[in-house]
Amino acid sequence: MYRLALNMLFGDRGKLAMLLCGLSFSALLMAQQTSVFFGIMSWTYTPVVNIRAKVWVSDPMVEQVNDAKPMRDTDLSRVRSVDGVSWAAPLHTSFLQARMPDGNFKLVTLVGLDADTFAGAPAEIVQGRIEDLRLPNTVMIDEWGAQLMSRTEVALDGAVTTRPLRPGDTFEINDVEARIVGICRVRRAFTGGPFAYTTYDRAKAYTLGARRTLSFMLVEPYAGVTPAELCDRIERGTGLRAWTSDTVIWDWSERSLARHTFWWFWRNTGIPFSFGTAVALGLFVGIAISGQTFYSFVLENLRYFAAIKAMGAGMGLLSRMLVFQALVAGLLGFGLGAGMAQAIGRVMIEKGMPPFVMFPQVLWATLAFILGISLVSALIGIVKVSRVDASTVFRG
Amino acid sequence: MSETLDSPAVRVHGVDMAFGEGESRVTALKQATFEARAGELVMLVGPSGCGKTTLLSVIAGTLTPQAGEIGVFGQRLDGLGQEALTAFRRRHLGFVFQSFNLIPTLSMEENVMVPLLIQGADHGEARARAREMLGKVGLAGREESRPGALSGGQQQRVAIARALVHGPTLLICDEPTSALDKDTGAQILAMIRDLSRAPGRCVIVVTHDHRIYRFADRIAEMEDGRIRRMVDDPKLLDQPHA
Ligand SMILES: Nc1ncnc2c1ncn2[C@@H]1O[C@H](COP(=O)(O)OP(=O)(O)O)[C@@H](O)[C@H]1O
Ligand SMILES: [Mg+2]
Repeated sequence: MYRLALNMLFGDRGKLAMLLCGLSFSALLMAQQTSVFFGIMSWTYTPVVNIRAKVWVSDPMVEQVNDAKPMRDTDLSRVRSVDGVSWAAPLHTSFLQARMPDGNFKLVTLVGLDADTFAGAPAEIVQGRIEDLRLPNTVMIDEWGAQLMSRTEVALDGAVTTRPLRPGDTFEINDVEARIVGICRVRRAFTGGPFAYTTYDRAKAYTLGARRTLSFMLVEPYAGVTPAELCDRIERGTGLRAWTSDTVIWDWSERSLARHTFWWFWRNTGIPFSFGTAVALGLFVGIAISGQTFYSFVLENLRYFAAIKAMGAGMGLLSRMLVFQALVAGLLGFGLGAGMAQAIGRVMIEKGMPPFVMFPQVLWATLAFILGISLVSALIGIVKVSRVDASTVFRG
Repeated sequence: MSETLDSPAVRVHGVDMAFGEGESRVTALKQATFEARAGELVMLVGPSGCGKTTLLSVIAGTLTPQAGEIGVFGQRLDGLGQEALTAFRRRHLGFVFQSFNLIPTLSMEENVMVPLLIQGADHGEARARAREMLGKVGLAGREESRPGALSGGQQQRVAIARALVHGPTLLICDEPTSALDKDTGAQILAMIRDLSRAPGRCVIVVTHDHRIYRFADRIAEMEDGRIRRMVDDPKLLDQPHA
């Protein structure tokens, strides 16, 4: 009978298409909006991902990773003296105006790394070597930033071309020259601008006038000391704030810098609200469209369900048929919608680094929701069929 | 099913059935009493609105009357719960409706399989029996067609195949020819009579089409919610439609 139930559902291609449109549209909205939401939110803690330290230390008032409240350089030795610290390296981050070769200004994120250890250096270097940052007035920029800081050239024949910056090109930060010696590949940040990596000491030169430049300290625990333990010791010993660097959204610890950053943005920006509305809208439209289309499928077939009932099918069998039809429609709708969401995500990814992170959990939640909508529709259908009088089949 | 030949296959006694409440109350059956024997084809005739369909629904167990007794092959239907009635229909009843009621999104073959699948038959076996039955109603080769692609007469033949495929003991046909032209109607009735005639089976055909009266073994004439008389020969009836 399930086979016939399936054929009943597939028999009318037009209606099936309507039904699948409704279901897949809501699956798409849910999966896509949620993925973009998580994408954007994951950008907020990009530095934690890019810099890859086990433990971060900051001023006690710092609430999230983009919020630098610089400490004194002497704090570094205080941290180094905490039991369990293998090494601690300084890190500077700031947003600065950079003057491009063509005279335009661009906001860059300056990252100053400890020149001895290069702790916090990008994981993937596309061109050049990190050690080249020891040369005077040098920076390494990220691939995406290189695109953003593209340079316009006018050839002798008057042809105008624009190309991304590359090693050898220069720009200026606070009138200090910055010569590009390498290109790295890092994850994009919420702030959007290019990253310019340099050494911690040179960062002081670029931020002339700043009294304090120690934004964070990157700390490595001794073997056998867990990051969380070390955080406790550092906080007790120095009064500074220490963070772990785990970024697994479903499983991050109490001290995770990424986690605090995520929730800071959640509380202090309109992102959750605007995405929340989009997702809620998706759910609402989804419930309305899919519920309605499945209900009308049942209504149109009510006469035949009544005939099957008259022929001796019990409500048990009819209910199973309806649930089966609804689940099949729901699964197909989910598949189409999630597939479309992934395709859109892929296109976005090809166009640059988009705010798009499709967690499997999001897919599961979408699936559960779509199947939930389908089941509710089936339930309404079952009530309808159970109320239909089998003797209506005798009426013309 | 320990029926002797003379005990009735269908026995309706003193059935009252009314629809609605108060002002709009309509009495469809008044102390209706009726019998049909195994092996015979009984026609239920009478003017529109006299209660024929209501009586059929009561016999089929899809309507529960306010009063009276209904017995089908020795099984009392009055007092049975919905589930038992459903199980009873599944096992013993075949239906042919005025408006065919074929499922438009299913093929002919699938439509005919429905009663077997409801009984829990295996898909392949149901398919084989449906094909065989479609052959008997002269529709071999059209198994895959949808009802929409067939003429009214062909659709009703599919309905006959569906009604008989599971070998029901009671076949109920409500105005099976009223949506068909005269010749097709006669063919359909001939087919119902030829295919359904079996010693243990009772066939009840509701109609007000006097041109097919000749296919009946007996005719029950209804009027105002009760059986007025039973006759063996259609010529004995007045023919108000002539
Ligand atoms: N479900 C119903 N609700 C209200 N009245 C009904 C219903 N079914 C039948 N009736 C009424 O009962 C009477 C008998 O109807 P029916 O059995 O369909 O007659 P027939 O089949 O002989 O034309 C009619 O007056 C009809 O209007
Ligand atoms: Mg009628």
